[in-house]
Amino acid sequence: MVTETKTGWTDSRVWMVASLVIVCLVSALGLSQVYLVTKPQIEKQKADAVNQALGQVLPNAASFEEKEDGLWYGLDSAGNRVGIVFRCDPRGYAGPVETMVGVDLEARVTGIRIASPAEGMKETPGLGLKARDDWFRDQFKGLTADQVRLKKDGGTLDAISAATITSRAVAAGVADGIRKYAPRLKTDDAPEPDAKEDTAPEREGMR
Amino acid sequence: MRKKPPRLKYFTSGIVLENPLLILMIGLCPALATTASARDGFGMGIAASFVLICSNIVVSLVRRWVPSSIRIPIFIIIISSFVTIADYALQAYQPGLYQVLGIFIPLIVVNCMILGRAEGFAYTHGVIDSILDALGKSIGFTLALGLMGIIRELFAAGTVFGFPVTPAGFREQPVLFMIFPPGAFLLIGVLKSIINKLTVKKET
Repeated sequence: MVTETKTGWTDSRVWMVASLVIVCLVSALGLSQVYLVTKPQIEKQKADAVNQALGQVLPNAASFEEKEDGLWYGLDSAGNRVGIVFRCDPRGYAGPVETMVGVDLEARVTGIRIASPAEGMKETPGLGLKARDDWFRDQFKGLTADQVRLKKDGGTLDAISAATITSRAVAAGVADGIRKYAPRLKTDDAPEPDAKEDTAPEREGMR
Repeated sequence: MRKKPPRLKYFTSGIVLENPLLILMIGLCPALATTASARDGFGMGIAASFVLICSNIVVSLVRRWVPSSIRIPIFIIIISSFVTIADYALQAYQPGLYQVLGIFIPLIVVNCMILGRAEGFAYTHGVIDSILDALGKSIGFTLALGLMGIIRELFAAGTVFGFPVTPAGFREQPVLFMIFPPGAFLLIGVLKSIINKLTVKKET
């Protein structure tokens, strides 16, 4: 590199400070503009993604109503409740595995969806991350809380090979979630007071 | 009069003879971390390519005004600005692609290939040459990462781009070792030794 021998006006102390200030200012201004332009679009994409995920896990519902953080009621076109969707974050191998679970009125799973790495999922690619594969998620359909268990734990689910911790975490999260939210399936819009008391303390530890 | 250097060489050299990963041995961290599958390998390569091309252009444009003693911090600001722009733009307009690449984008800031090309090439060359250099190195880097992804996915899952290519028996008991970082180290060593063998042959 020839730069060591080259001395010129760019090496003055004033310009050193000034050039760094200019570069930072231009970068900050540019980035804030990009942020402002893309922000509404990013928020829209995030909302779309949530709606799409809700539709995936509870296909019978025509619309969704957010009841609280991590709990949605699925409504058909007439406005009747056809099921609920809840979010749970069971602890996997490398961190929480964010899972959305759809449940019909008989407390059977209608579908589950697991967050992608871009959404904060930290499981090992090629191992725990395979929990996102269709074959793994489809196994949950139609199961009740007591059936959601790995084969080696006495249930019906095939575990992902070499990723038992993740498989077991998802199964446990889904089963626990169904038990926790099952009272909400029967209640009307206003949850029964004791049902709410049941869920509140548990949620604190999870979020 | 000085001879004009053959510009096309800046482009072609990056693909094989000066392949960033397998010859220059730079950008190894993403190569280990993100090549567990073919799709991830190519994804990381493409995302890094965008930032490399943009940063090479800007660095070569401003190089005459950059004080040599603080050039590295300035390069890093330029690079991280492009990384952030890529991050926002993908998130806003290509959410599907962001689902795949999102996890790798912050990693590009610490990709030494990009700082390496800014310092080693764009700082001392003009814009056109820098673009050619960036394009060539990008293609070389993307192909090398993709190749690693294909090989590792083949051994560790029996698939390529998610399509099964090996007998079912192998897919049930694959070589899981290849999906972990030690497997990537081993693969880089093997690829490097093959490349060395080939290039030495050419010279003699």
